[in-house]
Amino acid sequence: MNSVLVTGVATPIGLSLVDHLLRDTRVGHVVAASHLSRVEALGARQHPRLSYVKVDLTRTRKVHDLLFGAARDRGVEVIAHLAQHRRVRYGGRLAHKLNVESLRSILDLSDRHPTIRRVIVKSYAEIYRVSLHLPVLVSEDHPLDLSPGAPQWVRDRVEADLTACARMGLSDAEIVVLRCAEALAPETGSQLYDLLDGPIAFRPLGYDPMVNVATIEDLVAAMTRAIHGSGEGVFNIPGYDTLPLSEAIARWGTAQLPAPGSLISPLYNMRHRVLGTDFSYGMNRRRMHYGLVLDGTRARKRLGYVPQHPVAWPRAPTSS
Amino acid sequence: MLPTPAIRALTRALGSKALKDRRRRFVFRDAGHGYDQFGLQPDFVALADLVTSPVYRRYFRVESYGAHHLPGSGPAIVAANHSGTLPFDAAMLWADIYRQTDPPRAPRAMADYFVPSLPFIGTLFARTGMVGGSRGNARALLQAGELLMLFPEGTPGIGKPFKDRYRLQEWREGHCELAIRHGAPVIPAGIVGPEEQMPQLLRLPGLGPVPYLPIPATPFPLPVRYRILYGPPLDFSARYLPEQADDPDIVRRASNEVKHAVQELLHEGLRLRTGVFR
Repeated sequence: MNSVLVTGVATPIGLSLVDHLLRDTRVGHVVAASHLSRVEALGARQHPRLSYVKVDLTRTRKVHDLLFGAARDRGVEVIAHLAQHRRVRYGGRLAHKLNVESLRSILDLSDRHPTIRRVIVKSYAEIYRVSLHLPVLVSEDHPLDLSPGAPQWVRDRVEADLTACARMGLSDAEIVVLRCAEALAPETGSQLYDLLDGPIAFRPLGYDPMVNVATIEDLVAAMTRAIHGSGEGVFNIPGYDTLPLSEAIARWGTAQLPAPGSLISPLYNMRHRVLGTDFSYGMNRRRMHYGLVLDGTRARKRLGYVPQHPVAWPRAPTSS
Repeated sequence: MLPTPAIRALTRALGSKALKDRRRRFVFRDAGHGYDQFGLQPDFVALADLVTSPVYRRYFRVESYGAHHLPGSGPAIVAANHSGTLPFDAAMLWADIYRQTDPPRAPRAMADYFVPSLPFIGTLFARTGMVGGSRGNARALLQAGELLMLFPEGTPGIGKPFKDRYRLQEWREGHCELAIRHGAPVIPAGIVGPEEQMPQLLRLPGLGPVPYLPIPATPFPLPVRYRILYGPPLDFSARYLPEQADDPDIVRRASNEVKHAVQELLHEGLRLRTGVFR
């Protein structure tokens, strides 16, 4: 019976994963960790198979103490590492430490840990490069966005992903990287959610790319399969919904205004200043022109993962 | 761009019985919201059918030969010559394949990189099945059992000078590598007519993603008669193993075979016609 350590439980995905694992009779104990207090992170959740550790993952010593303290005592065999800085517009040294260095520490320590045998890393579809010259349907060997102009949010995620990939086959612990489609939910770091969650969404005039979005339920299902699986690898985790951007905006009930490309960036900056939304057009410019859809063939074959939960769109389809 | 219900209403109001029947029988891989993963939408396919119909039937008066070689299902590649300054040949080939297959298959046109970057046009074409000409897109489509339509000459074919008409330009080989790797037959297609539709006077350097700006002798295409000829499928899977797709000699040999077949079809099409406009 696996005991699982989940980092980043103060996110909707982390909380859902914890709830799911507690219902899963194959899981022994769940150690939940985040930087918040227990009440802030878990609310009123109490369960005999659940324990909570407040920990600052940006500090290497604290990561060590988590893994060789609570995790070892509870016989944790699998780590599901979800902790990542969510906001695009805020970065800096501490965000980098959380996004990259905490994972590096976890991988280092897992290599010599007495009980940990598997590390599941949640990565992101946003690490893939989007270009006119590249396929729309993206498999795991698709080029990553290594452009120096990419925001720290992307650069950190690429570095974390590659850090995990570089250890595969060399560590005693098995490493699984799940490159997840964005979940259309608040506080998940989804840029598309931030785009939709406003009174008006601007999109480039004359372009309507395909987007793929997931639900928290599907991402949790994929993580659970990875937790109980064996072997290593990188897997795309697509969502159930693949549709044009305009359709996604319409079905979310947000007004949309196609605008010339040169106007959109200032419009979004203004939207950010007025409404405080996190959406960054600079980061998503290419995706809003050419689209990106994850190819989940490998996850289907190796993990048995098939997205099954469509987004609960507030509005009926415009194409019906 | 018009919303999908408006497109649907338009095709219902203006479409012929045959067009509506094709729309009804058209099948595609719905990714969940009425679009496939690459953005194809059946109502836009019907719109393309509607828009190309008068051009196909009355303007270019397309004659189709050997369409029984087009497979009704499964992965396949239609490889054709490319010409005419503006890509009316691609539109007519698309329309012909859509009309001649049963059930109707909307071929997935592999466009040059700059086409999807064009506002409105790129999106509109994507709704009718066009995809950017990357190896990854082609691989995914063949694995999904789609019918690819491509022009191995690429942009140099469509932009060649009038004196080079019906002489195939440098013939790219990637389609044969894909055909061998995925066991997809290649159907050679020769298109006779477009070479004379817009004789090119001059080529100016391109702007942005557009590789060049053609200066044709006529402001619009002449009403030449199109003849589209399909040859028997070249099934390389009967001769080569998928791993032999990595052998440059084999791929080159296969590609030459396709090129030769297309050139033969062009000769045959030229023999069939009694005049450029007849």
